[in-house]
Amino acid sequence: MFRHTPLRYATLILLFSGAVFQAFTGDYYGLEILSEILILAILVLALDLVAGFGGMISLCHGALMGAGAYGFALLATQAGLSPAVAIIVALILVGFIGCIIGAICARSHGIYFIMATLAFGQMGYSYVFDAPGFGGDDGLTGIPRPDMSALNIDLGDSQTFALYCLAALCAAYGLVVLFLNSGVGRSLVGVMHNEVRMRALGSEVWKIKAIAFGISGMIAGVAGILLAQHSMYVSPSIMNWTVSGEALVVVILGGLGTLVGPIVGAVVFVVLKHQVSALTSYWHLVVGCLLIAVVMSGSNGIFGWVETQWTRHLKQRQSPRLAPRSEPTSHQETVKDA
Amino acid sequence: MAPDFGFWTLQTLNALQLSMLMFLLSIGLTVIFGLMHFVNLAHGALYGIGAYVAATVAGVAGYWASFILAPLAVTAVGLVLYTGLIRRMRKSGPMAQVLVTFGLIFAFLDVTRIVWGDIPLALEVPDLLSGRTSLVGVEYPTYRLFIIILGLTVLAALALILNRTQIGAMIRAGVDNDAMASCLGINVEKLFFVVFCIGCGLAGLAGAVAAPVLSVTPDMGLHILVPTLIVIVIGGLGSLKGAIWGSLIFGFVQTFGAVLAPQLSSMLIYGLLAAVLVIRPEGLFPARG
Repeated sequence: MFRHTPLRYATLILLFSGAVFQAFTGDYYGLEILSEILILAILVLALDLVAGFGGMISLCHGALMGAGAYGFALLATQAGLSPAVAIIVALILVGFIGCIIGAICARSHGIYFIMATLAFGQMGYSYVFDAPGFGGDDGLTGIPRPDMSALNIDLGDSQTFALYCLAALCAAYGLVVLFLNSGVGRSLVGVMHNEVRMRALGSEVWKIKAIAFGISGMIAGVAGILLAQHSMYVSPSIMNWTVSGEALVVVILGGLGTLVGPIVGAVVFVVLKHQVSALTSYWHLVVGCLLIAVVMSGSNGIFGWVETQWTRHLKQRQSPRLAPRSEPTSHQETVKDA
Repeated sequence: MAPDFGFWTLQTLNALQLSMLMFLLSIGLTVIFGLMHFVNLAHGALYGIGAYVAATVAGVAGYWASFILAPLAVTAVGLVLYTGLIRRMRKSGPMAQVLVTFGLIFAFLDVTRIVWGDIPLALEVPDLLSGRTSLVGVEYPTYRLFIIILGLTVLAALALILNRTQIGAMIRAGVDNDAMASCLGINVEKLFFVVFCIGCGLAGLAGAVAAPVLSVTPDMGLHILVPTLIVIVIGGLGSLKGAIWGSLIFGFVQTFGAVLAPQLSSMLIYGLLAAVLVIRPEGLFPARG
C-alpha cells in the first residue's frame, strides 16, 4: 500500500512551493509551461494509480484523457451545458468508460493487458477521427473555460489558470491517496502482488480492477478537460496511443508506484522537452536514450533512485555495524509479476 | 453498385498483398517472442530502416541491389542491437524490455531524420515489375503480384525449414519449452541469435518491398508497429501458425472493411483484437497448448 515517507512529504512540499513560486513570478511563457506540467502530472498520476499499484500497464490513458476533453467540449459547446455541469457529466462519463475497459481487460495480464488497452484506446481514437460530430482531423474549437467571475476569479488569465490547474492536481493527488488507503485500494495492491491469493480470500478481483480503472480514467478525464480548456481546442491526436506511451515514459522516468515520482517525472519531462527543443529538433532521440538509460540502470526512475539512496543513507547512520542491504524496490516486484 | 466477380478478385488480391507484407514483419517478431519471451517493439523501426536503405541503394545501384542489401543492412543493425542491448535485457522482465525497445523506437525515429531528413523518399518500381498483368479477368499491378508471390515463397520456405529440417525442429522445441530444450543440449541462446538475425532480415526485406508501394517517411516504423502487434496478438504470441492466420485476418479485415464499411473500417480491426483478447486471451493459435 501507499505510505507517505518524510522524503515524499518533503518532495511534495518542494514541488508545491515551486509551482506556487513559478505561478507568481513566471512570465506568460513560464506560466504556459507550468500549466502544461500540471496537466501532464494529473495524467501520469492517473496512470501511476493503475500501473504502479494495480500492475495494469495501460496504453489507453491518452484516449481516456481525450474522452474527457471531447466529452467536455461537446457538452459545453453543442449541448449548451454550463461548463461546471459539463465537467461533472464528462467526468462521470469517462469514469464509466474506464470502469468498462477495466472490467473487460481484468482477465488479461502482462503484454496481453497492454495490447488490450491499446486496442480500446485506438478504437476510441479511430472512432473520434472518423465519426461525424467530432470535427475529424480538425478537432473542436471554441471550448470555454469555466466562468468563475462570481468568485472574482478570471480563468482567462494564464496565472489564474495555472493556479486552477494546481488546485486540480492537488485534488487529484488527494483522491488517489484516499483511494489507495481505502479498502478497495488496499485490495488493489494485494491483487497486484498475488491475484490468486486475493481470489482465494474472497475478493472479486475484476470488480477491484474495474473500480481502480474507473477512478484512474476519471482523473485522466480531469487532465483532458484541463487540456481542452487550456488550449480552448481539442484535436484527435491527443487520443493516439503515442500519447499514452509518452505518459508511460514519464511514469517510468519519475518512478513507478511512488505517486510523487511521476509528478517529478512530469516536471523533468516538460522542462527538458522545451530546453532540448530550443537547441535541436531531435527531442525524441534524447528522450529515447534517457528512457533506455533509466530502465537499464535498474533503479525505479529518478525518484525511486533518490529514495533508495536516502534509505541506504539512513540505515547506515542508524546501524553502522550492519552491512547495508537495499530493499527490493516496488519496480522490481512489478517486473517479476508482469 | 453491384460488386461483380472482378471486384472481389481485385480486393482479394489487395488483401493478400497486405497480408503478405504483414506476414514478413510479424513472423520475425513472433518467433523472437516465442523463443525468448522478448518483446521487441523496435521491430517496426528495423522495417523503417530497411525501407530507407532500400531507397538509398536503389538510387545508386538499382532496385535489385537494394532488394539484397536492405535485409543485410538491417541484419547488421540488428546485430549491433543484440550485442549492445538485447542480450543484457534478456534477464529482465517484459515491462523493462517493452520500455527499452520503446525508447529504441524514439531513438531510431530521430536517427532516420538525422541521416535521411524529413522529406519522404520515393522508390521506383523496377522495369521488370512495372505495369500491369491480367489475372483471372482483372488487371493487377505486377509489383503487387510480386509482393504476394514473394510472401508466399517466404512462407513456404519457412514452413519447410521449420517442419522438415533439424534447425526447424530445434526452434520448435525451443518455442515449446526452452528449458527442456536446453536440457536436451540445444544451445537456445545461439538459436535465438540466429532467429533474431533472420527476423531482422525479414523486417528489412519487408521494408524494401513496401518502399515502392508506400512513401518512405521517418515515422513509418512507428505506424507499422501497431498493425504488427495486432497480427501477432490475434494469432497468438510466439505461434508460427498464428502469424500466418493473423496476417491473413488482418489483411482481409482491413481491405474488405475499407470497401464494404468505410465508416467502420478503422475501428473494425481494433474491435476484432479486443474481442479476441476477451474471448481467447492467448490468441487464436497459442504457441503452447
